[in-house]
Amino acid sequence: MTFSKPQIAISAIAPVVLLAILIIFLLGPASTFLQFGIVLPEISIEKVEFIGNEIQATVRNTGPIDVNVVVADVNDRIQPAAIEPDRHLERFETALVRIPFDWNEGQPYTVGLTIDDGTRFEKQIDAASPSLEPSSELFVFLGIIGLLIGVVPIMIGLLWYPFIKKLGKNTFNFFLAFTIGLLLFLGLDAIEEAFEISNTHLASVFNGELLIATVVILSFLGLYGIGNILIKRSEFSKLSKGLAISLMVAIGIGLHNLGEGLAVGAAIAFGQVALSTFLIIGFAIHNTTEGLAIAAPLTRTKSVIGKMIGFGLIAGIPAIFGTWIGGFSFSPFFTIIFLSIGAGAIFQVVWSIFQFIKGESGSLSTISVICGIASGLVIMYLTSIFI
Amino acid sequence: MDSGIKPTKMLYILFVIIAVSGLYFILPGITTAEETPQTFLTHTGLVIKTTGEVIDPIGYDGDALDFDPETFMKDFDYGEVSVLEDGTILREFYITARDDQIMEVSPGVFYNVWTFNDSVPGPTIRATEGDLVRIHFTNEGSKPHSLHFHGIHKAEMDGVFESIGTGGKFTYEFYADPVGLHLYHCHVHPVEEHIAHGLYGVYIVDPKEGRDSADEFVFVLNGLDTDFDGENNFYAANTIPFYYQHHPIEISTNQKIRAYVVNVLEFDAVNNFHLHGTLFHHYPAGTDTVPSGYNDMLTMSQGDRQILEFSYKYPGLYMFHAHNTEFSEKGWVSTFLVKENTNNFDDQVEYDDIL
Repeated sequence: MTFSKPQIAISAIAPVVLLAILIIFLLGPASTFLQFGIVLPEISIEKVEFIGNEIQATVRNTGPIDVNVVVADVNDRIQPAAIEPDRHLERFETALVRIPFDWNEGQPYTVGLTIDDGTRFEKQIDAASPSLEPSSELFVFLGIIGLLIGVVPIMIGLLWYPFIKKLGKNTFNFFLAFTIGLLLFLGLDAIEEAFEISNTHLASVFNGELLIATVVILSFLGLYGIGNILIKRSEFSKLSKGLAISLMVAIGIGLHNLGEGLAVGAAIAFGQVALSTFLIIGFAIHNTTEGLAIAAPLTRTKSVIGKMIGFGLIAGIPAIFGTWIGGFSFSPFFTIIFLSIGAGAIFQVVWSIFQFIKGESGSLSTISVICGIASGLVIMYLTSIFI
Repeated sequence: MDSGIKPTKMLYILFVIIAVSGLYFILPGITTAEETPQTFLTHTGLVIKTTGEVIDPIGYDGDALDFDPETFMKDFDYGEVSVLEDGTILREFYITARDDQIMEVSPGVFYNVWTFNDSVPGPTIRATEGDLVRIHFTNEGSKPHSLHFHGIHKAEMDGVFESIGTGGKFTYEFYADPVGLHLYHCHVHPVEEHIAHGLYGVYIVDPKEGRDSADEFVFVLNGLDTDFDGENNFYAANTIPFYYQHHPIEISTNQKIRAYVVNVLEFDAVNNFHLHGTLFHHYPAGTDTVPSGYNDMLTMSQGDRQILEFSYKYPGLYMFHAHNTEFSEKGWVSTFLVKENTNNFDDQVEYDDIL
């Protein structure tokens, strides 16, 4: 059968038009017919900040209907408060509730908001700590933290380069597989963190779990496309395959570190974690192995020192931007997206390294590869205990 | 390699961009409001400037209320009075139960109240010892309801085993007995639900010889569980949280005050009453003529009631509230504004001597 061009165009547009008519019908004439069941309003307290003599809560209407926020309380005791811009919240709209309150640092607080039908919603804060005011000192501080958890450990890890360059084929494959283990762990780690943020900060209406799955897959597909182009190009240019893979690893780790930096910056801003020396040490050990992952694919390539340092910066610097963004304007929604992008990117890198090993040695089921992956995972698990 | 990107590829990319930009629409930012800064004062004296709205149950003017605690506290229903052949005074009352009304119980908070005569609490029924009390009860609610009076009466007038169905009527009849401060409430199962929603009221039986003249007030200590989690969201004297804190009850120095305090609070086992600046004599259930104590604290469980008699020596603003501070900070906090009494009535001097 053959169709004329107009017929094909109609068949493309007709379902869309019919669907639009159906939606208009359901919203219009049929809306009363479809009204059954009880519609429950819902609000989510997304953020609680302790500023001066006030507790400030950011609230979002995450339910299906408009609501009015009419009573504020702290620890279940009613407090007069201000709500900006106004008490009426349409679907997805947010407002800032300012509750004058002489809070004590380090003490847990529960902030409650009651809406017009009398339902009370609350959010618990484990320990009140003053929200950080944007300042140049904070900017420098967050930058240094980002540098310490991102750039410095990766650069240290790159110093393994001469050592792995001298290795025999099997040992080299072991180290490549070792980086696969590391990266797999990092990917899983990022997904776990994304779920944690989704559970604690994101309203259920945003479907955090599905958001993570969607973004991980999209990121994997996107990087897969870019990776293929890079590797294809490497066949024509002086960019070797190893270099292309190393660059992919660096980009993947960079995206991962951006998400990690966001989470760390937000934790500092909210004072949710005591940013102890241990945490920094933990991140340093953890991320040193990322340098190894960048260096390993480069061992069959000559004169790479400059490029390698560049790749190290690609992988590490996003952590600094992450801590800045996370520290100054934390958004659970975008932190989850960046963590998921990082995870998808890392899985793509794992895939590339698998292909690389397969191309080099023809098999993936050698003892050295299996042992490499296993030890990579275990080392990461052990270093993760410090964080 | 291709020299450029094909139009179809452009279309694919465009489609993805459109899909992703849909995020913008599900994530609207904070809407902008008119920049009209206003200031408000907190309990602790902090001044807050805001461009938004103030949500403060205390600063409520009460005009929009369906229920006025101001009139309720002094509103006594003596019924339609007639005299029977044997000389007995008959007092007839008409009480209608409903369970479909939505009332603004605190500024902006709307709650489904169950009412006697469209009010929570119901009307304060007042009779004199020995009067025949006849109550014409109509149930206009969607559920069965009843009237159960505390006091001495026949079993069939107890309002417990005979619930009155939707549209049903019943006439309760009993002699006002004994003297005291009592209450009535719906006794249909689940009683907790029927009381928590508001089906209760005060029933006062005066002694034949009457009581000393005094400024009299009714305070029904109640609560509101507006989200049905088995815990009260609001507490109050006479239903509206924080009402008398913002609308002080005006009284005079050296003036005898008689408060009829009835505790109908659900979900919390114990309620209490604390008076500032003076002490009261209190009469449990108002049945005795001898006070059982001189105190500024009363502890009451569900259904407990006390008559309080007191006067103020010094003018000023005095609080009375639940000394259980959770209750007071959720609305059960009130004030007396005591003004200097310029008329030095003899009887009040006598009253002071008696006290």
